[in-house]
Amino acid sequence: MFASGLPGEFSGVNGVGISSTAKPKREDLGLTKPYVPPLTLTGYDNPVPTSAGPKHVAYIFKSLAMKFTTLYALLLAAVLPYLTTATHTSNWAVLVSTSRFWFNYRHLANVLSLYRTVKRLGIPDSQIILMLPDDMACNPRNTFPGSVFNDKSRGLDLYDDQGEEGMGGIEVDYRGYEVTVENFIRLLTDRWPADYPRSKRLMTDDRSNILIYMTGHGGNEFLKFQDAEEISSFDLADAFEQMWEKKRYHELLFMIDTCQANTMYSAFYTPNIISTGSSAIHQSSYSHHADQDVGVAVIDRWTYYNLEFLETQITSTSSNVTLGQLFDSYDPVKVHSDAGIRYDLFEGGEATARNRKVVDFFGNVQAVEVDGEKGQEGSLAEWRKDLEALNNLIERQRVVMNELRNDSKPLAVKADNDNAEATVSPEKGGKGLFGGAKMVDQDYSWAKKALGAGALLALGSLWGLGSWMDR
Amino acid sequence: MLLFSFVLSLTILLTSWVEASDYHEQLLLRPLPQSALLAAFNFRSNTTATAFEEQNFRYFPRSLGQILQHTHTKELHLRFALGRWDAEAWGARPRGGHREGGTGVELWAWIDAATDEEANARWLTLTNALSGLFCASMNFIDSTKTIRPVSTFQQEGDHSRTSPENLHLLHGALPHEVVCTENLTPFLKLLPCKGKAGISSLLDGHKLFDASWQTMAIDVRPVCPADGSECLLEIDQTVDMVLDIERSMRPSHDPIPRPLPIENIKCNTSKPYNGPDTCFPEDQTGVLPAWSLKEVYGRPIRGSCPLTDDSAPTVILEVPEGRDVRGESAESFTQSREGNLRLYQLPKNADFDLTLREQSLDSSLSLEQPPVYASRTFTGQGQERGGMLAVLTNPSPSTAVSVIYLESLPWFMKPYLHTLQASISGSDPNVAMNPLDSVFYRPSIDRQRGTHLELALTIPAASTVTLTYAFEKAILRYTEYPPDANRGFDVAPAIIRVLPFPSTSNSTSLPPQSYQEGSTYLRTTSLLLPLPTPDFSMPYNVIILTSTVIAMGFGSVFNLLVRRFVGADEVEGPGLAGLKARVKGRIQALLARFGGGGEKKHQ
Repeated sequence: MFASGLPGEFSGVNGVGISSTAKPKREDLGLTKPYVPPLTLTGYDNPVPTSAGPKHVAYIFKSLAMKFTTLYALLLAAVLPYLTTATHTSNWAVLVSTSRFWFNYRHLANVLSLYRTVKRLGIPDSQIILMLPDDMACNPRNTFPGSVFNDKSRGLDLYDDQGEEGMGGIEVDYRGYEVTVENFIRLLTDRWPADYPRSKRLMTDDRSNILIYMTGHGGNEFLKFQDAEEISSFDLADAFEQMWEKKRYHELLFMIDTCQANTMYSAFYTPNIISTGSSAIHQSSYSHHADQDVGVAVIDRWTYYNLEFLETQITSTSSNVTLGQLFDSYDPVKVHSDAGIRYDLFEGGEATARNRKVVDFFGNVQAVEVDGEKGQEGSLAEWRKDLEALNNLIERQRVVMNELRNDSKPLAVKADNDNAEATVSPEKGGKGLFGGAKMVDQDYSWAKKALGAGALLALGSLWGLGSWMDR
Repeated sequence: MLLFSFVLSLTILLTSWVEASDYHEQLLLRPLPQSALLAAFNFRSNTTATAFEEQNFRYFPRSLGQILQHTHTKELHLRFALGRWDAEAWGARPRGGHREGGTGVELWAWIDAATDEEANARWLTLTNALSGLFCASMNFIDSTKTIRPVSTFQQEGDHSRTSPENLHLLHGALPHEVVCTENLTPFLKLLPCKGKAGISSLLDGHKLFDASWQTMAIDVRPVCPADGSECLLEIDQTVDMVLDIERSMRPSHDPIPRPLPIENIKCNTSKPYNGPDTCFPEDQTGVLPAWSLKEVYGRPIRGSCPLTDDSAPTVILEVPEGRDVRGESAESFTQSREGNLRLYQLPKNADFDLTLREQSLDSSLSLEQPPVYASRTFTGQGQERGGMLAVLTNPSPSTAVSVIYLESLPWFMKPYLHTLQASISGSDPNVAMNPLDSVFYRPSIDRQRGTHLELALTIPAASTVTLTYAFEKAILRYTEYPPDANRGFDVAPAIIRVLPFPSTSNSTSLPPQSYQEGSTYLRTTSLLLPLPTPDFSMPYNVIILTSTVIAMGFGSVFNLLVRRFVGADEVEGPGLAGLKARVKGRIQALLARFGGGGEKKHQ
């Protein structure tokens, strides 16, 4: 929401050592089992010379650990701050349906199912960008007002679940005519006017993992938006390249459920993207089943089996299920099309990509960030220092407020709005466009008619004079 | 003495604190004819001006407060509405129409700005910020959808602190906008009890958006007490809806209406075909249906919101005196009666439910007659032109009413003002000929601003005023059509302000303390304007066809121009000799040309 703060601000501004500092502390605490963080050895920011592959390094470390445990601890402590820069500090999800009209109910249900899943696994609404091009829940054709279902058993209302867990409502960021190719590209590359609301922006940084899920009607290397325009795989590839150049993501999981979906990621050329699609070239992506009371198909096959896996295998936010396991669950017999996966852009290739946890993309970062490098005493002292600084700040503010109040100007105590005011480009707030209406003269008097007749007469005589002179 | 004064100042401080920010909520339930039920929710809280400026928010929602501060908005009115109020069956609108909006989203605000340009810029910032907060496309309210109404809207708040020339009223409407659960979610988040306790626990998207008519309103206004104490900023959140009792009581897992088993239907036995398998249902008019809050809303009220003050009743049910009503709760609660009203105070920690049984009563509630009935339709045919017809009826047999009729039309609908006609048809043929008192008009500019038409009319007693005007439909550019262009384009509802009787035009007087005293409002439905819409695949057909024609025409002419046609026997055969002869021939031709040309010049 608008006032929910800027999530991007919290994530990894000072690069190194958010989780890295926590890990040596476990060594300090005397954990007997040597701790080998899985990500540290495989991250793309790995400072180890490229000649020694990640596996090689792992092997060296393991042998060291076996032989010289104390040396290992020291070495780890020295290397870890560099190695663990590879972890992400925030999770974002962009969930896009691109189809309008009632008979495309299933595409909105697909997206809403994913929305529910990522929300269940801890990504807050402020970090989910949900694009719904049509209104299915409150559609007059919907027999179940305010509800969208993805299964004919209708056990789970995707739009506003009132069950035991509940969803806490729904927040749609882009809806109706706002779902356009332009807005989608702008969202990815974050090019917006100054007064654009924060809840509609993707405020990621180079430590954010992004899940992008798209569904709709598509073809060979294109995806239709609302039956009116289309995005090509090259547009998408270039947008991702811009994101990479602007350091707007750390790792990206791209999922697409449409006909010939696998062609949509063929043009990508940017690192750290894992892509997966529902169907190969010249293949359709089919719907799973229809609900007779809703009257249309309610979910697509590939999304259905994805969800089945996510619902049954990922039961907690600390789940260790890997993306490889998710991808292995795609069964062409069930899906009725050949799902595709592309690993080659990912640093570390297929093996690394497959070892990424599903919750690295579908869940939110759960780690508690403890600054343990200075030890318990050190961090306590730092905390005290921070508290003192905060107190000073509050005190200073209080003095300023009191001064202002004593100046007998009660309205002078104001939030600093004027300096913060966003500027609107002049052609938007242009003059003459917003003005008030003028009163229309309703005077139907003879004078007005006489004036009109006079003007007509004068012009006529002028014309006559002209033609006479011409002769 | 010192101690006494200290205690006194403390009490004053405490009372002022209690006055400074408080929270009320109230639910009015009124069964309407045809098994309809009006449920009117109201949530009101406030904050002092100082606390607001220091950003000390208690009950006032911070997210909205910061937007208002940032955009210098002094008074805000935001509406999300769906459906049509059936004035013939349900009578006058609740709250005098002051908390009603036109279909879709409607927004108007008084913005503090030194110049028009500044006000416009702040207005655009406000619409953008609100679109983020309320999950609605309010960022589409641009200059083409914004007007500055002259006399339709009145300030509800006390703006004595702001110089009146710096206050700019801007109004925008989005009739196409759908209102759904994603708009209710942020609405509930603004409430102190967040829909978890108190009457707001009844607000469920499944019921609210199944209503025959519903409107959600957020109104922020400054209120200055008469005793000169500090001004307050008041936020008033309202949800009014009319539910069909029978429809709402269908089970949520199976809402499709199915015929009742014949045993459960009361048959009209006087029909000749009545039998064990044929049944004509008995006329049920006059029988009041049985219902309970839990059945209608799917859940009871979850206790009282602990932030409300206990003195005022929270739930008010308006039913005829003889109607049996039972309040149910595990805890004790207070109830009282005032004429037709049953007043309930909610229990603290237990669910509360109201149950009414089926009953036939002789007495019924009298419906309040609305001051004016209004309807609006399109006339004419064809893709090029059309007409607008608005019918305003004054049902009162004795008094004339003055109304202000406001229309904000999109730019692609261009009215001809000279065709504007207002005629009176009524019982008395001797009344004044022209009902139009004044006309305010601002013509549209293509793609830049819409038409603003504001009329002041007087409708004589027991008569009908018919407003007509003709308009032209613009042809849009190919890229300007929305994805569902064939659906038509929504035209915002007309807003009708009925001036209080006796009609006065003094807008300088103090704004009424409560909206019940002032003028009343009503809105027509939105209209769907069909525009000439191309077949969107046509350009491709045209491109393909013209390409083919050009390829054939150009190709054959080009061939005729550049190719030399010779007989097959004249063509030299392939091989080195042929090539040699050709090259030789070319060189000879070139030589002859240059040599010959030069000789000619010399001659």
